[in-house]
Amino acid sequence: MKPVHDILVSIRDLRVSFRLDRTTAFEAVKGIGFDIPVDSTVALVGESGSGKSVTALAILGLLPKENSTLGPDSRILYRDRNLLQLAHGEMRKLRGCDISMIFQEPMSSLNPLFTVGFQLIEVLAEHVGLGSRQARTRAIELLREVGIPEPETKIDAYPFQLSGGQQQRVMIAMAIACEPKLLIADEPTTALDVTIQKQILDLIAEVQKRRRMSVLFITHDLAVVGEIADHVVVMRDGEIREQGPVQRIFEAPQDSYTQALLLCRPQLARRPRRLPVIDDFLNRAPAAAPDAPERSRGLRGDEAIVIEVRHLGKSFYSREGLFGKREFKAVSDVSFKLAKGKTLGLVGESGSGKTTVGLTVMRLHEASSGQVLFEGKDLLAMPPGVAMQYKRRIQIVFQNPYSSLNPRFTIGQILMEPMQIHRLGSDEQERRNMADALLEKVGLPGTSFFKYPHEFSGGQRQRIAIARCLTMKPDVLICDESVSALDVSVQAQVLNLLQDLQDEYGMSYIFISHDLAVVKYMADQVMVMNEGEIVEIANSDEIYLRPQHPYTKKLLSSIPRGWRGPRESPIAPG
Amino acid sequence: MLAYVVRRLWQTVPTLLGVVLLVFFLFTWVGGDPAYLLAGKISNPEQIDNIRRQLGIDQPIYVQLWIFIKQIVSGDFGVSWATNEQVSDIFLTRLGPSLTVLVPLLVVDTLLAIAAAMLVAYLRGSLTDRMVMIGCTVGQSISILVYIIVFQYLLAYRLGWFPVQGWGNSFAENLFTFSLLPIIVGVIVSLAPDTRLYRTFFLDEINQDYVRTARAKGMSETRVIWVHVMRNASIPIITNVMIQLPGLLVGAFLIERFFSIPGIGREVLLAVERSDFPVIKAVTVYVAIATMITNLLADLLYKAVDPRVQLK
Amino acid sequence: MTTATSHAESPGLWVLAWRRFRHDRVGLVSFDIVLFFVALMAASWTGLIASDWAREVGVSNAPPTFTGPKVASARLEHAAAPEPLRRDKSDESAAVDPLAGVLAEIRASRPPAAADTEIVDPLADVLAEIRGRSGSASADETRAATLIFGGDKWGRDVLKKTIKGTETSMFVGLAAAALAALLGTVFGALAGYYGRWIDDFFNWFYSVFTSIPYLLLILSIAAVLNQKGTMTVILILGLTGWTGIFRLIRAEYMKHKVREYVQAADAIGASHMRRMFVHIFPNVSHVVLVQLSLHVVLFIKSEVVLSFLGFGVGVDTVSWGSMLNEAQTELLLGNWWQLAAATAAMAMLVTAFGLLTDAWRDALDPKLK
Repeated sequence: MKPVHDILVSIRDLRVSFRLDRTTAFEAVKGIGFDIPVDSTVALVGESGSGKSVTALAILGLLPKENSTLGPDSRILYRDRNLLQLAHGEMRKLRGCDISMIFQEPMSSLNPLFTVGFQLIEVLAEHVGLGSRQARTRAIELLREVGIPEPETKIDAYPFQLSGGQQQRVMIAMAIACEPKLLIADEPTTALDVTIQKQILDLIAEVQKRRRMSVLFITHDLAVVGEIADHVVVMRDGEIREQGPVQRIFEAPQDSYTQALLLCRPQLARRPRRLPVIDDFLNRAPAAAPDAPERSRGLRGDEAIVIEVRHLGKSFYSREGLFGKREFKAVSDVSFKLAKGKTLGLVGESGSGKTTVGLTVMRLHEASSGQVLFEGKDLLAMPPGVAMQYKRRIQIVFQNPYSSLNPRFTIGQILMEPMQIHRLGSDEQERRNMADALLEKVGLPGTSFFKYPHEFSGGQRQRIAIARCLTMKPDVLICDESVSALDVSVQAQVLNLLQDLQDEYGMSYIFISHDLAVVKYMADQVMVMNEGEIVEIANSDEIYLRPQHPYTKKLLSSIPRGWRGPRESPIAPG
Repeated sequence: MLAYVVRRLWQTVPTLLGVVLLVFFLFTWVGGDPAYLLAGKISNPEQIDNIRRQLGIDQPIYVQLWIFIKQIVSGDFGVSWATNEQVSDIFLTRLGPSLTVLVPLLVVDTLLAIAAAMLVAYLRGSLTDRMVMIGCTVGQSISILVYIIVFQYLLAYRLGWFPVQGWGNSFAENLFTFSLLPIIVGVIVSLAPDTRLYRTFFLDEINQDYVRTARAKGMSETRVIWVHVMRNASIPIITNVMIQLPGLLVGAFLIERFFSIPGIGREVLLAVERSDFPVIKAVTVYVAIATMITNLLADLLYKAVDPRVQLK
Repeated sequence: MTTATSHAESPGLWVLAWRRFRHDRVGLVSFDIVLFFVALMAASWTGLIASDWAREVGVSNAPPTFTGPKVASARLEHAAAPEPLRRDKSDESAAVDPLAGVLAEIRASRPPAAADTEIVDPLADVLAEIRGRSGSASADETRAATLIFGGDKWGRDVLKKTIKGTETSMFVGLAAAALAALLGTVFGALAGYYGRWIDDFFNWFYSVFTSIPYLLLILSIAAVLNQKGTMTVILILGLTGWTGIFRLIRAEYMKHKVREYVQAADAIGASHMRRMFVHIFPNVSHVVLVQLSLHVVLFIKSEVVLSFLGFGVGVDTVSWGSMLNEAQTELLLGNWWQLAAATAAMAMLVTAFGLLTDAWRDALDPKLK
């Protein structure tokens, strides 16, 4: 479509390695090459550790000098100049002017002690040399362009006074202040809620078209890529697996890894009995046929009820003044029923109170009001000693696999501890046997028993956390964002494991997530929460097809859908 | 703002009460009957009786506590057991010399430490950085006593550049003649630990995301450090300086003692040697009050530097 | 099933930290130096070495061997001239009990009813010893003209005194730091873990202790206790020095108690004590270790100052502080060796401890989260 000579940046044989200590080095990028054409969006996709962010930092010359080295033949050509060999002063003139960048965490990326205006004017003063009056006027224009309401007053606001989405808009305003030719966006929406993500993606696309600049969009999320990119570069372990126009990558991926990335992620439209995992593709094993029977979800209404929650409320108090307290209602008046052997999905954005519901139901947080009926008895009203017996039967798998296992315990200790506390099994030997059996069940080798958590990957740790819950043979498992921190390919494996365990043991799940596609795949019934309240609760197919509440509709329309065929061409010039 | 100050002062009441109780407990229960302690200092039994009556030794404990609290509130701690001087007079006359030495010391030390720390933070990982850090570690490991003894011996006693010790009558003479060597020694002693500390403050900030943003915007390294990093690092630096402030009132015991500066620190040492309880009690309580006031000042100062701080 | 077969237990975080530490050459050398000092302390404590430090083996102020014997006249002018910098404390060689007269007076003036309670002269024992020593010393036949590192006023070997001083100062530093770390850790754990009124209480306690400047607090307590001795110094330093550790440990516990592994321990039914000390403590123990070693240095320095001022260890105990006290007057006579020996020993140990702390901090930094 675009002529070949319209190349803005071309990267050739880029190698970056980091020195870990005196003797060992780690090669993060292993000789990659790709081009960024003029006036287009290139997406750099990969899972964690693929080297995508390192590549971005290398373009701007922002790699830490102390411990990083570039390959001798590496070149990053921008307008026939090799950026890697540019003098420091020259490079600095390009940064923020010709090439600018926005980052993942807008809050920490803005200096907390200076106003938005100060940080914006700083760029204008440095690169354009505007006087203070003009610079301020220009800054207000920029803020208006990126959709900050009341830019005349917001220009004097400090970053902490803005929402996460507004902070990212300010970052974008700073990045486009000097009419850059290339905008590098490093996971700019990963830290944001799905509705805000949608707005920011739209803004980036809009700015890109209006200013006819190029965007290098770095992300782990293929669904986002499909929405925004013209070209796609797929990276893994510092190498490029595949690159090409977005349509070809989505419709006819050549590389097995790309295929895996596309299919491992649960999709709204389909619900296979088992998600394909990455090994299926890499080993060229027969992939799940697209027309395989799908799993049907939903409640008929006559299922046995395990837990009934009535009017649950949880308030947090912050001290104010001398004796004053301020109440913050994290959860108010939440009621639902959990059916035996079924999964209840709990969806909401950050701060919606979904995690608090999970923790309160199992008494990890003390509830402020309401009842949790478990086998007809109110769990919340029991004295702690009695509750212990019931608490054992409700277990939880947390979000962060890196902090949910005690780093000073071996896997053996982690698995044996609950059995020892609850005197499960007649002696140590029997407990040991049970632990070994569970390790096998979650797909880990028996030698894991003597290892420490730090020797395992995120996905493996999540399996260990699941095994720990299973030692107590729970009736209910609460999965609090349990797969959100995992890479797509690992996510599918853990989801499959959870499904297998439910099928085998008949456990009920409360599946808490911000990821609507994952919830759609896992849940029979979906409950949508906003600001501590339930806005809608229905069978999952029902809620995705016919959402009733406006908030649910907004949430669903914000989900990135991936590639949906060719988009309309950019606005014609002039 | 005013409401905040009032509320903060109100909040210090429990702490202050704690200090009063601590001091009272120490001096009444642990310290015991002053008669025994004063045996060597005051030979007149009438005078000792007088003191016992003044403290209410024969009275129940709560009466003694009440007497102590009345002393604090009225500021009248009676007279020194050793010199019969009014305790409040001792304070007023000794404060000046202490501040004459310690204010310049704190200012010079802070400025030098910030400059040095910024330089080594800028050159982090270089040979200069490592040499300065090793120098600081070794310098820090030598006792302050050695610095004082050696400097006094070499610079004053042997070379005669400074007076060995003493104190004059005019402020200028005190500041520019008698205080110079004490200030130099004080700066040398505190420079090493402060430089190390401030360096870590700067390095903490240099690794923050906003610094990466500033570089990505094309800001020069000088501007990154002097504008972006400096403002953020100034918050912990202010904390550190404010912590040292109450110490100014007590003075640097050792420096004052060695150089015969008639400050509060020297007075405290004398009082400890003579078991002169009224003086020690008064100093302890008032310095504790001063500490709380500086804490409040520090909070107000944070407000000026850090917009996120809400005075509520 | 196969517990008997040799299973390869994986390295835990402490083992990994030790492996990292072994690559740190500066840290290792510092570690060796600290170990050497600890060995010295132990040997001196058990009497293996320097047990005869009090013997007056050389002439008064014997210079170090490498400078050769002192030419008596060369220093005479200086020796005669100096006006002492500070009022001399009671001159021990005269050994007059400064309290004797006072005590006699008190005993006389006390009402007869109280006469049965004995008033003990705190200095009596010490003085008896000093008197005995100066008596026997004069009987000594031959005294060396020079000693390896010189001698002090009474001709005692400075090297042995330094070893003895190392024993005292280091023991005070280690013991006081252990006490402070214990208090700080327990208080910090309780406050940080439980929060609410327990936290309020310990915070109040903390703010009371920190609103009085550290040295002033120590001096006040010293004034009140009015008794010297190694144990007293350890108690004073330990009981006042816990505040810094408390604050850090409290913050660590607040951070860890909301971590998911602790919540998971709650979910499996682990008790509060178990969560506090079996689950959380091993994860904050590296902070305690680093703080412990920082406080050893701090307390050694404080002990030196206290003993120098005469509020520290007893008159009959040698510490680096009391050596510096003597050295101060000696320096005016040009006798620098006692000053040099105490300073060098202290600088070496404290520097090594400082570098070791840094190395530990680097090695223990749990990057493996």
